[in-house]
Amino acid sequence: MSGSRPRLLNPGRVGVIARHTFTQLVRMKVFYFLAAFALVLIGVQFLDLPVHHSPESTGVQLLFSIKSAATGTMTLFAVVLGVVATALLLPKDVEDRTLYTILAKPVPRLDYLAGKLLGVLSLIFVSLVIMDLLLVGVLAVKTNAVVAQQLAMADAEGWTAAMKANLEADTRQLGPTWSLQGAVLVVFLRAAVIASVALLLSTFSTSTLFTTVVGFMIYVAGFFQADARDFYFSGGEGMGMAGRIGSLLVAVVIPDLQIYNVIDSVIQGEVLEAVLLLKVVGVTAFYVLVYGFCSWLVFARKEI
Amino acid sequence: MDAAVEITDLTKDFKTGIRGGWLRAVDRVSIRIEPGEVYGLIGPNGSGKSTTMKALLGLVAPTEGSCRIFGSDSLAVDSREKVGFLPENPYFYKHLSGAETLRFYGKLCGLGGRQLDERVTELLDLVDLAGARDRRLGGYSKGMLQRIGLAQALVQDPQLVILDEPTAGVDPVGSRQIRDLILELRGRGITVFLCSHLLEQVQEVCDRVGIIFRGKMVREGRLDELLAIEDETEIILRDADPALVGRIAELVAADGRASLTHTGKPRTTLERLFLEETRKREEARSSS
Repeated sequence: MSGSRPRLLNPGRVGVIARHTFTQLVRMKVFYFLAAFALVLIGVQFLDLPVHHSPESTGVQLLFSIKSAATGTMTLFAVVLGVVATALLLPKDVEDRTLYTILAKPVPRLDYLAGKLLGVLSLIFVSLVIMDLLLVGVLAVKTNAVVAQQLAMADAEGWTAAMKANLEADTRQLGPTWSLQGAVLVVFLRAAVIASVALLLSTFSTSTLFTTVVGFMIYVAGFFQADARDFYFSGGEGMGMAGRIGSLLVAVVIPDLQIYNVIDSVIQGEVLEAVLLLKVVGVTAFYVLVYGFCSWLVFARKEI
Repeated sequence: MDAAVEITDLTKDFKTGIRGGWLRAVDRVSIRIEPGEVYGLIGPNGSGKSTTMKALLGLVAPTEGSCRIFGSDSLAVDSREKVGFLPENPYFYKHLSGAETLRFYGKLCGLGGRQLDERVTELLDLVDLAGARDRRLGGYSKGMLQRIGLAQALVQDPQLVILDEPTAGVDPVGSRQIRDLILELRGRGITVFLCSHLLEQVQEVCDRVGIIFRGKMVREGRLDELLAIEDETEIILRDADPALVGRIAELVAADGRASLTHTGKPRTTLERLFLEETRKREEARSSS
């Protein structure tokens, strides 16, 4: 249905659809979520945390809590928007017949799908950038306060300059680092994968509810994909043929979301290696391309 | 010269259920529309009009047969470069204003810059929505939505305009405006393929019509040929006194072969009466 002669993506046309999708979502007031994020950041600072009497543990828990709450809220926003917005936009265009008017113009279906996905991802990206700026600001202020408090305590206990320098370096590692920026990027990449899964679901489903529910189920199952894959390749001891086929299906159809768990390590202050980040980027690109291609295969033949 | 529309033996079957039943929505329909013609496809609801249009636009694939637009296979994206389409009861994006809507569709067709800005202004004037250009479509009336829909169909200056029930749900004044626009398109040499079940409107604007019933084309031809009653002749007189009418009746009676079937006052249509009265009230209000 997409035409007898295949066309390459037209970046200009994809950009028009992406910008329109972005505007559509903005006018649906999704940015209100940023206010909720700001409230979470403010709220975390009022947490009643245990009092410590050694310099190296003073205030550290607060920094963990800020990062954990912020990345958790970012993940919630990014995944919910990735699934719901993608699940909503395509069936809504069909229901409102706006899709007729778009595809009646010289718009290949691939351009339409790519534009929709890019629009949703742009909105998630911009939102995450704003949240990240807020997080970095709050974390920088709090890290400075914690370092000052720790150094004052260390002075009182008579620590050497070298010990104090080590303490400050360790504490600043828990503040706004490049690894934390990498973790925020990983939040975005995980949302990109789940949005492309939702896109595929919405090409053959006519129900937004179905797409949303199945999208979230796949998101949860994604954390067990690696286990299913290992189980299949290990020969599936103690399991029948049905179990092996089930594990194969999960391993093939569902994305492996365990690789995105590097975010937790970064919250604990570990460094996110560039090689690992590149691997996550590569895996994400693979998933987005595969799910995007499958979406096009279904949508190109869809009768509207 | 290629026909603007060439539908050849179009057949379209739809699956009706999980168990695999099939419904034939269109059955070996052929239509040829020459450039510059206004063609009306009429038929009752569910007769296959919209499916025929969707097949022509490549939105559904023919089960059998083919559809071509100016010689190009309608399944090819390129064939839509020259086509504007207004679907039945379009909603469009409520969050966009009238001008933004036209700009969006214009950009999809590759327009941009000053050319697009001028085109948007020109089209808003054409469909009488210049005053509502910055109002969001969520606040548009049904008639305004139809007119902005017509404007988006014309945004890339197409050579063929396909209109699916263009006046559905529109009041008589809005309906008249849309018909005037169709006549204006015809004046510009643009081919119009319209489908409707409002027969009087089709009669007013179309050069040729096809009647489709249960998926099959049952009659097709030039409107004047289809509507002419071959064995009757119409004479309309202005300011004729009864004596003159009487003499004409005597002449007819003397002929022996011809017979006078009816004399009386010709009637206007209720629609014309409505439009005339609303126009008079509008003029009186604006002059006072």
